[in-house]
Amino acid sequence: MLMVRAIIRPEKVGVVMTELAEAGFPAITKMDVFGRGKQRGIRVDDFYYDEIPKEMLLIFCSDEDKDTLVKIILRTARTGDGNYGDGRVFISPVEEAYTVSTGKAGL
Amino acid sequence: MKEIMAFIRSNKVNATKTALAEGGFPAFSCRKCLGRGKKSIDPELLNLVIAVGELPLDASGESLTEAIRLVPKRMFIVIVDDEKVKDAVDIIIETNQTGHQGDGKIFVLPIFESYRVRDGSSTTDAY
Repeated sequence: MLMVRAIIRPEKVGVVMTELAEAGFPAITKMDVFGRGKQRGIRVDDFYYDEIPKEMLLIFCSDEDKDTLVKIILRTARTGDGNYGDGRVFISPVEEAYTVSTGKAGL
Repeated sequence: MKEIMAFIRSNKVNATKTALAEGGFPAFSCRKCLGRGKKSIDPELLNLVIAVGELPLDASGESLTEAIRLVPKRMFIVIVDDEKVKDAVDIIIETNQTGHQGDGKIFVLPIFESYRVRDGSSTTDAY
C-alpha cells in the first residue's frame, strides 16, 4: 500500500480530482498548504515571495495502482511545457489501513 | 516507530483526544482537511432520477450534480512505538465508530527517525 502526496496548483485541483474520480480513484483528501520550491519562490524585482499557496492531495492506493495514479496527476496538473510551480508528487509506504465504520483492515 | 494517520469526523475530535490521553497517548497533532471517500452514486437513486426526470430536492440530489463535493474532516496524527500501534488503532476505532459510512480511515506509516528540537536527542528517547 502506498500514500501519494501531491502538492499542486490550487486552480488545478478540480481537474485533477474529476479525472481521478473517473479513473476509479474517488477517495481523496485535500488540504491547503503554503510553501516554496527549488526556485526559492517567485521573484518580483528584488522580493522573493516564498510562501506560495498550494493544495496538497493525499491519496492512498495499492502498489499496482500507483503508476496509473501518478500518470493522471502528472498529465492533468501541468500547465504547459515545464512551468515552474506546477508542483511535486511524493510517494511513501503505508503499512496498515483500517476503515473506522467497520473496523476492518484494508483499503 | 509508526505514524498513525486517522481521518475522522470533526465532532469526534474531543472524544478521541480524551480517549487517547486515557490510553496513554497524550501527544498528537490535528488539522482540518477536506476529503471524499469511496462511496459512489447509489444506482437506485440514479434509476429513480431517470424514471421521474427530475432531481430530488435533498442532499442526495445535490450530490448527483456536484462532481467534486468534499466533506470536511479532521486529520489526526499520532506517533507511537511499534508495539503500541494496535492499542492506539483500537482506541481510535472504538471512539469513532458509529457504523455509518464516513466514519473515517486510519493509516499506519513507518517513521524511520525522529528528533526532539529542544535538545537534539534522536529516535527512541526523543519520542
